[in-house]
Amino acid sequence: MNDAMSIPHLIINASGVVQAVMLLLLLGSLLSWVVIFQRTFVMRRARKAHRHFEDRFWSGVDLNELYRETPSEQETLGAEHIFRAGFREFNRLLPKTRSPQAILDGVQRSMRVAWSREEDRLNLHLVFLATVASSSPYIGLFGTVWGIMGSFQSLSMAQQATLATVAPWIAEALIATAMGLFAAIPAVIFYNRLSSESSRLLGKYEDFAEEFHSILHRNLQGRGDAAAG
Amino acid sequence: MARHQRRVGYGLPLLLAIALHLGILVVSVIRFPAAEEEPPNRAIVQATLVSTETATDRAQRAEEAKAAAQAAKQAEEEAAKQAEEAAAKQAEEAAEAEAREAARQAAEQAEEAAEAEAREAARQAAEQAEEAAEAEAREAARQAAEQAAEEAQRRAAEAEHQAKLREEREAERQRQAEEEARRQREAEAERQREAEEEARRQREAEAERQRQAEEKARRQREAEEQRRREAEAERQRQAEEEARRQREAEEQRRREAEAERQRQAEEEARRQREAEEQRRREEAARRAAEAAQQGLDQAIAGESESVANSAQAQEAANGFINLVRQAVEQAWAIPPNVTGNATAEIRVRLGPSGELFAASIGRSSGDSAFDRSALQAVRAAAPFAELRELPSSVQRQYREFNLRFQPGDIR
Repeated sequence: MNDAMSIPHLIINASGVVQAVMLLLLLGSLLSWVVIFQRTFVMRRARKAHRHFEDRFWSGVDLNELYRETPSEQETLGAEHIFRAGFREFNRLLPKTRSPQAILDGVQRSMRVAWSREEDRLNLHLVFLATVASSSPYIGLFGTVWGIMGSFQSLSMAQQATLATVAPWIAEALIATAMGLFAAIPAVIFYNRLSSESSRLLGKYEDFAEEFHSILHRNLQGRGDAAAG
Repeated sequence: MARHQRRVGYGLPLLLAIALHLGILVVSVIRFPAAEEEPPNRAIVQATLVSTETATDRAQRAEEAKAAAQAAKQAEEEAAKQAEEAAAKQAEEAAEAEAREAARQAAEQAEEAAEAEAREAARQAAEQAEEAAEAEAREAARQAAEQAAEEAQRRAAEAEHQAKLREEREAERQRQAEEEARRQREAEAERQREAEEEARRQREAEAERQRQAEEKARRQREAEEQRRREAEAERQRQAEEEARRQREAEEQRRREAEAERQRQAEEEARRQREAEEQRRREEAARRAAEAAQQGLDQAIAGESESVANSAQAQEAANGFINLVRQAVEQAWAIPPNVTGNATAEIRVRLGPSGELFAASIGRSSGDSAFDRSALQAVRAAAPFAELRELPSSVQRQYREFNLRFQPGDIR
């Protein structure tokens, strides 16, 4: 009896559609957990990198030196990436135009592009997590409804409608809902947590971009005054 | 700076996710059977065990048998008491008769002795008289002597005659006494024989009643397994029959009873043959037959004990059968669209430790899917490890039994 009503036994004995639903949900759960782990690692690494870079940036090092120390464009992350993009644009524009406004506009645009790339990178796959979180309960419910439909169909053929004839069907149908919830609950929790972390990081990047912009602006003002004078 | 360059790959997260799911699966598999043990599923379908009866039936039967045994013992005691009484009375009477006889003999002897003495005295007197007469005659005249002698002789003869008469009368009386004693003894013997007859008849009637009670119980069991109504009719008919047979037995004497017993023995044999088909009944019949063959006294003495023992064993066996039935019921998944009155019989053979040796279809229901489901139920429910908990004496009986499957009504 226990054997017959155990979860694996019920899953194996379920009808085809319900089994497909269960498989889908299992896949969703698995992938959502992959995303959860991967994003968690990414976030942690980005947080650490950001702290490290800020320490270096505000340590009073020369910006040209810092620019030379950082690796090439494609391999930088987070605030470093924004700094490189902005500073490169600044260095390129500086010899070409004397208008500080034009230089600052170009630097700002370049930094916005870099920030947008960083946002895209941080939020990668979080949408998938949101999708799993919102849809898997419905998918599980669909499996349950389908299983119960099957049970009632078979019940109509049976002579006596007893609890014992209905119970296994309903149990195996309800497993689909259980699996849907099983996939959805962690997805919801981690989606909220990861997206809030990502937005906090992006806010920090934005703050850094503004600060860097103000430093460049200060430099240009000094140079402009010197040139005018 | 080098640590900035490494992008986070998907290999480790994938590994971690799979490990997490496997862990959850293992935990669910391990824990669910334990959690599920609490609600025992009451199966609605009934798998009826053909070759056994229910516990209540069994208890009733045991009680009946016990009551019968008790009644028999009481009757026996009564009969014994009566016999004892009769014997005592007889002995008393015999002693009385003997004493009377002895007294009579003593009186006779005394009488005889007295007679002999009297005769002796008479003879002596006569002799003396003769001698005297002779002496006188010698001295006196001859006629006188002769006359005296004649006189003496006559008197002696008379005395002798009288003595003879008395003797005859005495003999007569003795003969009469003897006659009477013999008659009394005969009457005594007659009475004793009658008492014995009565006791035997009672004992026989008792045995008869007991055997009939047993028979009735067995027949009841059979009837219950079949239809209730049939059982009712059967029992009524049996009651009538029993009453008639009792009346007959009472009316007629020993030959009738013997014929009855023979007939019953035949019946018993027939039932034994029947019972060979089903092991348990055979067992019961064998015990009954043995009981019948043994002396009635032994049977009555041993009956209550054996009934108690067998009742106990049956109780345990019933527990086992119930367990088997429950296990099979729970393992049974009735296929859809089976008619309500489909009945399949599965013959089950178990190993000594309860493992399933063979399960075969004894009587098909005609629906092969139904038969298969029943077979599968038995196979799924095996092994029946509870067999080892049975008393070893009855284990062998339960190594083989039939299970009847039929989709039951809604309870």
